[in-house]
Amino acid sequence: MIPPGGAARPPSPSPPAPSPSRAAPSPLRSAPRVLLLVPARSYRTADFMAAAGRMGVDLVVGSDGALPLGGRPVIPVSLADPRASADRLVARSGPVTAVVAADAPMLVLAATVAARLGLPHNPVAAVRAAADKARQRMRWASAGLAQPAFRIVPAAAPDEAVRQAARAVGFPCVVKAISLSASQGILRADDTAAAVAAARRIRLILAQARRPSGEPLLVEAYVPGPELSIDGLLPGGGQPSDGGLSVTAIFDKPDTPDGPTFEETMLVTPSRLPGPVLLAAVATAGRAARALGLTHGPVHAELRLGHQRPVLLELAARSIGGLCSRALRFPAGLSLEEVVLANALGRDPGPAGYRQARPSGVFMLPVPRPGTLRAVEGRAAAAAVPGITGLTISIPVGQQVRPLPEGDRYLGFIFAEGDTHHQVEQALNTARERLRVGIEQW
Amino acid sequence: MNLAEQVQAVLGRGILPSVIARGANLRVAAVEDGVAILVVTGSPGAVFPLAARIEALVRTAIPEVAGVRLVPPGGGPEPPDPGPVGGPPEDPGDVAEAARRVLDAEINPAIAAHRGHVSLASAGDGWVRVRLEGGCQGCSLAEVTLRQGIEPILRARLPGMTGLVDVTDHEAGTEPFFSAEKR
Repeated sequence: MIPPGGAARPPSPSPPAPSPSRAAPSPLRSAPRVLLLVPARSYRTADFMAAAGRMGVDLVVGSDGALPLGGRPVIPVSLADPRASADRLVARSGPVTAVVAADAPMLVLAATVAARLGLPHNPVAAVRAAADKARQRMRWASAGLAQPAFRIVPAAAPDEAVRQAARAVGFPCVVKAISLSASQGILRADDTAAAVAAARRIRLILAQARRPSGEPLLVEAYVPGPELSIDGLLPGGGQPSDGGLSVTAIFDKPDTPDGPTFEETMLVTPSRLPGPVLLAAVATAGRAARALGLTHGPVHAELRLGHQRPVLLELAARSIGGLCSRALRFPAGLSLEEVVLANALGRDPGPAGYRQARPSGVFMLPVPRPGTLRAVEGRAAAAAVPGITGLTISIPVGQQVRPLPEGDRYLGFIFAEGDTHHQVEQALNTARERLRVGIEQW
Repeated sequence: MNLAEQVQAVLGRGILPSVIARGANLRVAAVEDGVAILVVTGSPGAVFPLAARIEALVRTAIPEVAGVRLVPPGGGPEPPDPGPVGGPPEDPGDVAEAARRVLDAEINPAIAAHRGHVSLASAGDGWVRVRLEGGCQGCSLAEVTLRQGIEPILRARLPGMTGLVDVTDHEAGTEPFFSAEKR
C-alpha cells in the first residue's frame, strides 16, 4: 500500500508530454511566441502560464508587478504610464505572434502594443469603450440593442441630477460606477432618496479606488428576471452582423441577485434556458461586441431575460474573471486559457462549444461583513461533499475584507460537477454551508 | 465496469478539473494488487500538491483500492518520495546541495526584497521541490517568479535538473506580496 501523499512521480518536464487524451496531432503544438501581459493582482496568472506550457508556447511576460528577481525575463510595465509601458514592451518583447492580456487591467495596453506591432487585435478605442459602462450604453443605444433605460450623471452634478435620472429611468433603478468590475460600486435604489444615497456612497468608493475625479455615474432601470453570462470568442477579420461570436460557455445564475448589492455567487453551466432564448442571447451579445468595435478575442457578456427577451447588462473584452474558468473544460481536456491563447494565435482550438459532457458550476464566496479575516473553517468537510471538485480560499487570513459594494474581492471559489444541474447546485450549497468564516469586526 | 474504469470515473468526477487547471492530466494505467497506477502527463510537478487528495478520493470511493501511485508516461526515472510537507529535505545529495547553494546565494537574497523566501523541500533524480514562503506564499505572481525567475536560474546552475516542483500550500499564505482581485 502506498501511503497518502507518497510515491508521487512527476512527468517528463521538457517539453511537456502530450496527454493521453490528446494523442492526435494538435493544432496547438508548435512553438509560437506570445506576449502575455499579467496584472500583479490577477487570479489568472498561473492558469495562463500552465496553458502556455501545455501548448508549448514560448511566453514573454510583461507585468506591473515588480518581480523580486530583478525582472530578468519579465518586462516591467506601469498602468499609470501606458505610453512608456508600450514603448518598453515593443522594444523588448522581440518577435511575437500575439499579445494576450491575462486580465482586465492589461486590456488597453495589450491592444496598444498589438497595434504598434501590427498584430491582429481589438482596436484600442473598442477596448476602451468596452471598459466604460457609460460608453457601452451609448453605443448600444445607437445600435438599437436591448438594454435598460439609462441616464449618465456627471461627476460634479448635484443630488438633484441623480433624482432626475432615477425618476427618468423609473424605480427600482441601479446606480453604477462606470469603471469598476466584479459588482463593486453597484447599488439598487427603490426611491429617489436611496438613489442619492447610493450615488454618494459610490462616489466615495471611486475616490477610495483612486478613479479619475471626473468619472460620471450610470443610473439605469433595474431589470428583473433570470441572469446569465455568455463567454465567447470573436474570430477577427470580417464578421457577420451577429458579431460572429463563437460561444465557449453559458452560465446560468440560479441565485440571481436582486439588490441592493449584486454579489455573483453561483454559476452553473451549461445553461438550462431554452435553445431559442440562448440563441437570441448569444446573438445579442455578439451584436453588442460588434457595436463596441470589438473584433478579436474573448468576450464576457452578462444579460438578463426581461419577459424572455435578453437585455444587456454589461460586456467586457475578456474571458470570465476570477477562477471561474476552472469550472470549464473543453474537448481534449483544454482549459479556457488554452482556448483563448489558441484564438489569439489565429488557430482553431477545435470544437470548443458550451455543451459540456456534464454540468459543472462554481460558487463565489462573498464577503459577509467588513473586518479582518481570521479563519475559514470547515474546508475539509466542504471539500468532502460529493461532487465538489475544488475549493480555493483566495484571501489570506489576516487581511482586511469588505463586502460589496465597497469590496472588490471574493473570499474564494468552490467548484462542483454532477450528473445533473441539481446535483451541482446542491453540492455547492452544501459545501458553502459547511464553511465557517471568521471575521473580526473593526 | 472494472476497477480501472471505476478509478477513472472517480477521477473524472472528483479531481480531474483541478488537475487539468494545473496543466496536467491523469489516466489510469492499471490497478495492481489494490494499487491504482495513474499516468501523469502535462506540466511537470503540477499534480504533486494533489497527491494526497487523489489517494484519499480514490480510496474513499473504491474500498478495493488501497493506494495510488503516480507515474510518468512510458516509465522513466522515479524521484524520491517527497516526504511529508514540512519535513526535512530528503536525499541531500549533490543536486540537493547544489540547489540549496543556488537558492541561498542567488535567489533568496533577491526574493527577500518581497519578504519572500524559497526553501528546498527535497531533491532527487533531477527533481527539485521547493516551498515558497513569506511574501511568495500565496502571491498572485508566484508562478511567474517560479517559472520565469527561479527555474531558469536553477536550470542554468544545475544542468542535471529535470524539473522544478512547487510544493507550497499557497492558500495558507498570510502575507502574499500581491493578492488577487476578482475581475
